[in-house]
Amino acid sequence: MSNFTRRNVLKTGAGLAATGALASKGLIRPAFAQDMSFTPEDGASLRVLRWSKFVQGDEDLFLQNVAKFTEMTGVQVQVDNESWEDVRPKAAVAANVGSGPDIIFGWYDDPHQYPDKLVDLTDLCDYLGGKYGGWFDAAQTYGMRDGRWIGMPWGASGNCLVYRKSWAEEAGFSEWPSDTEGLLEVMRAMSANGHPPGFALGNAVGDGNTWTHWALWSHGGKMVDENNTVVLNSPETIAALNYVKQMYETFIPGTISWLDPNNNRAFLSGQISLTANGISVFYAAKNSDDPAIREMADDIYHANMPIGPVGTHSELHLFTQAMVFNYTQYPNACKEFLRFIMEWDQYQPWQAAAEGYICHPLQAYDENPIWTADVRNTPYRDCIRNMLYNGYSGSLGYASAAAMADYIVVNMFAEAASGAKSPEDAAADAHRRAERYYRI
Amino acid sequence: MVAEAPKVPGRSYQLSLWARLNNNRDILGLFFMLPAAVILLLFLTYPLGLGVYLSMTDSRIGGVGNFIWFENFEWLYGDRVFWLAVFNTLLYTIAASIIKFALGLWLALILNHHLPFKAFIRAIVLLPWIVPTVLSAIAFWWLFDSQYSIISWALQKMGIIDQYIDFLGDPDNARASVIAANIWRGIPFVAITLLAGLQTISVSLHEAATLDGATPWQRFRHITLPMLTPIIAVVMTFSVLFTFTDFQLIYVLTRGGPLNATHLMATLSFQRAIPGTQLGEGAAIATAMIPFLITAILFSYFGLQNRKWQHGGRDD
Amino acid sequence: MTDAVSSDKAVHDEGGMAYLTSLPRKVVTIYIPLAIFIFVLLFPFYWMTVVAIKPDGELIEQGANPFWVDNPTLDHIRHLLFETSYPHWLWNTMLVATVSTFLSLFCAVLAAYAIERLRYTGSRYVGMGIFLAYLVPPSILFIPLSIMVQAYGVRDTPLALILTYPTFLIPFSTWLLMGYFRSIPYELEECALIDGASRLQILTKITLPLAVPGLISAGIFAFTLSWNEFIYALTFIDASENKTVPVAIVTELVTGDIYAWGSLMAGALLGSLPVAILYSFFVDHYVSSMTGAVKE
Repeated sequence: MSNFTRRNVLKTGAGLAATGALASKGLIRPAFAQDMSFTPEDGASLRVLRWSKFVQGDEDLFLQNVAKFTEMTGVQVQVDNESWEDVRPKAAVAANVGSGPDIIFGWYDDPHQYPDKLVDLTDLCDYLGGKYGGWFDAAQTYGMRDGRWIGMPWGASGNCLVYRKSWAEEAGFSEWPSDTEGLLEVMRAMSANGHPPGFALGNAVGDGNTWTHWALWSHGGKMVDENNTVVLNSPETIAALNYVKQMYETFIPGTISWLDPNNNRAFLSGQISLTANGISVFYAAKNSDDPAIREMADDIYHANMPIGPVGTHSELHLFTQAMVFNYTQYPNACKEFLRFIMEWDQYQPWQAAAEGYICHPLQAYDENPIWTADVRNTPYRDCIRNMLYNGYSGSLGYASAAAMADYIVVNMFAEAASGAKSPEDAAADAHRRAERYYRI
Repeated sequence: MVAEAPKVPGRSYQLSLWARLNNNRDILGLFFMLPAAVILLLFLTYPLGLGVYLSMTDSRIGGVGNFIWFENFEWLYGDRVFWLAVFNTLLYTIAASIIKFALGLWLALILNHHLPFKAFIRAIVLLPWIVPTVLSAIAFWWLFDSQYSIISWALQKMGIIDQYIDFLGDPDNARASVIAANIWRGIPFVAITLLAGLQTISVSLHEAATLDGATPWQRFRHITLPMLTPIIAVVMTFSVLFTFTDFQLIYVLTRGGPLNATHLMATLSFQRAIPGTQLGEGAAIATAMIPFLITAILFSYFGLQNRKWQHGGRDD
Repeated sequence: MTDAVSSDKAVHDEGGMAYLTSLPRKVVTIYIPLAIFIFVLLFPFYWMTVVAIKPDGELIEQGANPFWVDNPTLDHIRHLLFETSYPHWLWNTMLVATVSTFLSLFCAVLAAYAIERLRYTGSRYVGMGIFLAYLVPPSILFIPLSIMVQAYGVRDTPLALILTYPTFLIPFSTWLLMGYFRSIPYELEECALIDGASRLQILTKITLPLAVPGLISAGIFAFTLSWNEFIYALTFIDASENKTVPVAIVTELVTGDIYAWGSLMAGALLGSLPVAILYSFFVDHYVSSMTGAVKE
């Protein structure tokens, strides 16, 4: 990320100015930032495909922003929703057949699988980055390819540790640990008290991938090096596998089949004391019509994934970005739409309405009051800041996407944790599987 | 074709009977086949060929693939997960089909009695088969949950188990669970169709056999079973095919987990081709299903062809 | 196998020799197994119903009796019917299933008649080919098909499904009707031919009226298969308002990793009702036409 173009320098300057202004006055617009806008084509109308809401507020505010946009520009926007797991195939098919929605909000490295099918968004993203304190590193990696932007980072559904404070205290931990060793101790202590943790180890697109990648990276393991050579079978990976094996010993039974909803349900019924999840558990508890569950919400706390032997944050989150397909007839209308919804005036209320579900890719948006409105929201603020990218530390593309889609890392951890394979065999096997995808 | 057909009788008096029939049969046949042929050639044969072609390319979603001959298949040959999926698919198909057949036949024999509310019972027996699979799979997902399973709850209350059963978490349990869900869905089809076959068997055959002193087992073995064989062949062909190409049930229940223990070829093909973007490899897995399907179909085809010997008094 | 034997004895009872077996015996060999079958086959539906009317709090409560509902609620059903597009999805499904069924039956009747009665050159092979066509799983076809559906400009319209569903409906219906036509005495047609009737007249005036049970069962079968179809509908339809029930339920009633369990189950139940009602009326037709399909 060290291509010092004029744009980047400008951006950094503007970023500093923006944060400065925010910090001092709570104002978001740096005085000198030139507002940019794109002129929609005559008679333009847009079709937008997004993943269906995680919370009602997200959808309400999103549609409200869309209505505002239509009112301002006269461009009609049709919004379609698709279950979040089904957006990837939809986007891939649209790219493949060369028609479909003009804009799709996809996941992870989607744009890198069909970069030549996408409209260059460099002007838009440089402008947004410049205005709002710059993009976080991982967001930039996800959005850029060969020096130009092919996706516009929109946010991430963060994955943090979700725990029951009273049970942690009962186990003797009034302070939540911030390193991997400490985490293991809490887990053991809570499990010994009859309150086991449980992390999804099934082929769960969201929860399974995110926390296992954290486990791998926090111990220094990674799938590929900078040259896309597979280096998965390493002592670091085996250390990570042994660590998760120890974690698994404290788990409630059944986790190797867990898909995304399982841990939510288990947590809300008081069966598990700790899991890795989005803010959805807390949100569901808070808004439950059952008083007993609402009461539980007061006991639910969050923490960022702890730092492992590598010494820095190394998380993976469900990252979403917008793609404009080059079959669209109205590229400028698309860009204007994206610019509009990303601006603070629209993004801030939308993000607030999503109640912490969505972490922002632009640094200045740390200032959104939603993050400090409740101490439980705060960890989710830093998700993109603490994030690495899928396929770290190689380049993004079909191989990184395919390796994740084939659950290589999740399967490796599940095999080693459950004892189906020794950590060494699991790592060697996953290494072979990864090589298949990185062969070309 | 409406205009064509009435000409037939007019010419029939000038031509010999055979020439008339043959000429018009072919032309008429063509017209009659046309609607089905157009749809099937366009939407089935052509994409099927395209799929086989794709399996020999390195196509990815979004990119045009190069023709690479059998490289995908060579890769799959060395892929442990692929072979696991083949094993799972065969196990799933064979176990589920056999049990579906046994239980289905039993249920058909029961239903072939004078029962009160006969039509009503048949209608509700068919329910599992007509409900969309994804929807019943969601119900099974609850039934097999490691924490909420009502089955575990009941067994625990009865004092049979002390720990909740980890239905989908253990590879062997998971296989058994998905097979059970598939059987649940498949029994009605087998039972109702076999029942149809049973009703064609004349009661007088049984009476005659009884008068000749045949035991119930002999009557089942030598009357019921041979008379039923053609329909058994048909039912089992379809049952095997439905099971072999199953996708929705696994997709909802386990996504192929745990540890890929329930991945079927269809779900693995989907996982590699669509979320994994490796269109060519996905197509190769799908293409690899074809030989199995052909084997199944030939098996039943010859089963159907040979039914004449069943009436030729073969004993065993 | 002992069950088969005893049941077979019971088959025999139908022949008027019921006095040979006592009532207790019949209870053990017929009614008890039947009760178990019905219990197992229906239990998931009971379970769906229970979940559909259970308040959210009770759903995840551990101690509560999962078989029962303490405070039944219609909230989930109300949410489903009035706060989602469920009625619209039902309508889509109905439309797609009905049209594709009729389209398929039309093609299948002509094809089956031609193969079975016209016996044109190569009809045996075509019959075989049609049977084989049914074996092609949709999971192989949906990627190439999605490209084609796109090319014809029908993507994201009900037409995309109406045109592709016949690929699995026609082969089965044709095959089933072939069997049924075979069971209709050929002499009737021969007489009509000699009297100068055209083939089409024979088909519409003689064969079809006799084949009504076969048509009904092929229709039911086709309707159900369309109703249950998942992969094509998932791939070819993007817009929420064009979705069919099975796809809409698993894609639209899921918010992130929180499932609207009650509404899911209510949707599954309500989505099954139309086909269930259809079946309860026509189950005897179905049974008798399967009989026809395999009779010599």
